[in-house]
Amino acid sequence: MLAVLPRRLLGAIPVIFALVLAVFTLQKVAPVDPVAALVGAKAPPDVYEAARVELGLDQSLPLQFWHYLTRAATGDLGQSSVSRTPVATDIATFLPVTLELLFVSLVFAAAVGCLLGLATAQGWRGSGVLRVVMVSGASVPVFLTCLLGMLVFYRFLNILPITGQTAYVDAPTGPTHSLLIDSLLAGRPEVFVDNLYHLVLPAFCLALIPAAAIGRVLRSSLEANLRADHTRTARSVGLGEKAILVRHTLRNSLGPVLALVGLQLAVMVGNCILVELIFARPGIGFYIARAIDKADFNAIAGVTLVVGVLYVVTNIFVDIAQSVADPRVAL
Amino acid sequence: MAVAEYYAAPGLLQYRGRAGLAVRQYFHGTSVPNYVAFGALAVIFFIAVFARQIAPYDPLVPAGEAMAAPNAANLLGTDTVGRDVLSRVLVGMQATWFGALAVVAIGALVGGLVGLIAGAVGGWFDTVLMRITDAFLALPGPILALAVVAALGRSYTNTLIGVAIVWWPLYTRIVRSEVRKLRSSPHMEAARVGGVSWWRLMYRHLLPGAVPVTVVAASLDIAALVLMLSSLSFLGLGAPQPAPELGSMSAQGLSYVFSAWWIPVMPAIGVALIAIVANFAGDAIRDRIRDR
Repeated sequence: MLAVLPRRLLGAIPVIFALVLAVFTLQKVAPVDPVAALVGAKAPPDVYEAARVELGLDQSLPLQFWHYLTRAATGDLGQSSVSRTPVATDIATFLPVTLELLFVSLVFAAAVGCLLGLATAQGWRGSGVLRVVMVSGASVPVFLTCLLGMLVFYRFLNILPITGQTAYVDAPTGPTHSLLIDSLLAGRPEVFVDNLYHLVLPAFCLALIPAAAIGRVLRSSLEANLRADHTRTARSVGLGEKAILVRHTLRNSLGPVLALVGLQLAVMVGNCILVELIFARPGIGFYIARAIDKADFNAIAGVTLVVGVLYVVTNIFVDIAQSVADPRVAL
Repeated sequence: MAVAEYYAAPGLLQYRGRAGLAVRQYFHGTSVPNYVAFGALAVIFFIAVFARQIAPYDPLVPAGEAMAAPNAANLLGTDTVGRDVLSRVLVGMQATWFGALAVVAIGALVGGLVGLIAGAVGGWFDTVLMRITDAFLALPGPILALAVVAALGRSYTNTLIGVAIVWWPLYTRIVRSEVRKLRSSPHMEAARVGGVSWWRLMYRHLLPGAVPVTVVAASLDIAALVLMLSSLSFLGLGAPQPAPELGSMSAQGLSYVFSAWWIPVMPAIGVALIAIVANFAGDAIRDRIRDR
């Protein structure tokens, strides 16, 4: 299956090129003057002009684009006008925190979604209520889930923490910037557990919408497969419902679910920004929210590029997983 | 007429006017939950149109004690400067609802037009357009929308433009695939043989066939758009303060969640209400159109 990987990665190049072009165009149409952002609005004309030349803004647009493209390819995403550090360094610090959240959240979403799908497809007791929950769950804005989660699990029950990554002030800060990995590398399992504990509520809030979506799609594809001819044959030779479900319908129902997960990742990445902001997690969402607030377009552009590329590559793997689950899906 | 009445099905006779019959026929076969969904949709439309008339107070002017809990005078309480939360939520629902409708309308019109032309013309033109929409669809929409809005600058119009820019390719795909299917259908062949002009073929013989799928996709998209618009507003990418926008109201009230929960929670519930109704109504519309 991995044999198709190089071809798919090559196929992603035009898409990534389009992404860079889009971000470059946005930078050009943005009303923010990048020179003034660097030297200040009251800089003398000669300083301003020198900075303009230094940034390469005196060159023609195609040349500027070429420089932007080559710099982006080598990992130079410009400088953040707020932190005055390279955007690439900032992203390397903030992104791992977000990836942790997304990963844990995806695990939650898959578990809850599969449970919902199985329960409603088999008509367990109370599954009618679950169906309404699934439709409504996909309609609740993520900030409402977060607010209610905070009120219930922190204010009233007081069983889950709501801010930051860990309560340990001496938690390790390097080398990967992912606290789950760093704490294990530093031999501090108690920090690892505490970080997971801090992840539960944000990850769950982020997982609700994809879980509802996974549940809906799994239900409809399971129902189609449970009505299929091969299932009827399996039933007629006397297999039990459980065996039919596990051996004959579950795997070939996973294709649409995986396709959906690929799409839902875009929604999750977007919602992740809000979740990190609300739960004060120092991730990429926190970074981009600050950049929006301070009109730091280099940072926004850098995050858009990195997240876009990660999304495209992840979706290639999702496609491959889809054809592993269901070999009829052509790559 | 007497004979016709005599042979007509008994159920039809109770509808004297043509209008009553038309309504009856239109809703024939609609299930009860779908009636409820359409009813809720009508209520949301009513609230959206008459928000400023229904709102008990001016959404921009203090109307009571600051941070008062929900009470008889202020049904949903007041915010940090004493403005009525109910009034602000109602007016915010208006902005969100019409914003989502506007984006869907722009997306369906622009995207649909591009899809129609691409599907009808075919050839390299079609290939190029489809590559462009492929690239759009392969990228994470919410992040792209965020970057576009951040680049254009903060205003509600820019937010709508930014979201519409990432939204139209969906409709291009849908309309194109439908048009490709219709192109080879017998009625097109008949029209072509009959010497119908190219333009007339497009708008009279291809376009109407693509309308139902577009309407279904659009109605199912409204809920997602409501959520995206309110999320952008939560991040400060919407109408600037002090405009009553649901997302930004919730973000502003975030630090008061434990002292005055109604300030951030009520606007968020407003968003959820619109999105839930839009989702159920979208499903109902899909059922109706599919059953035809």
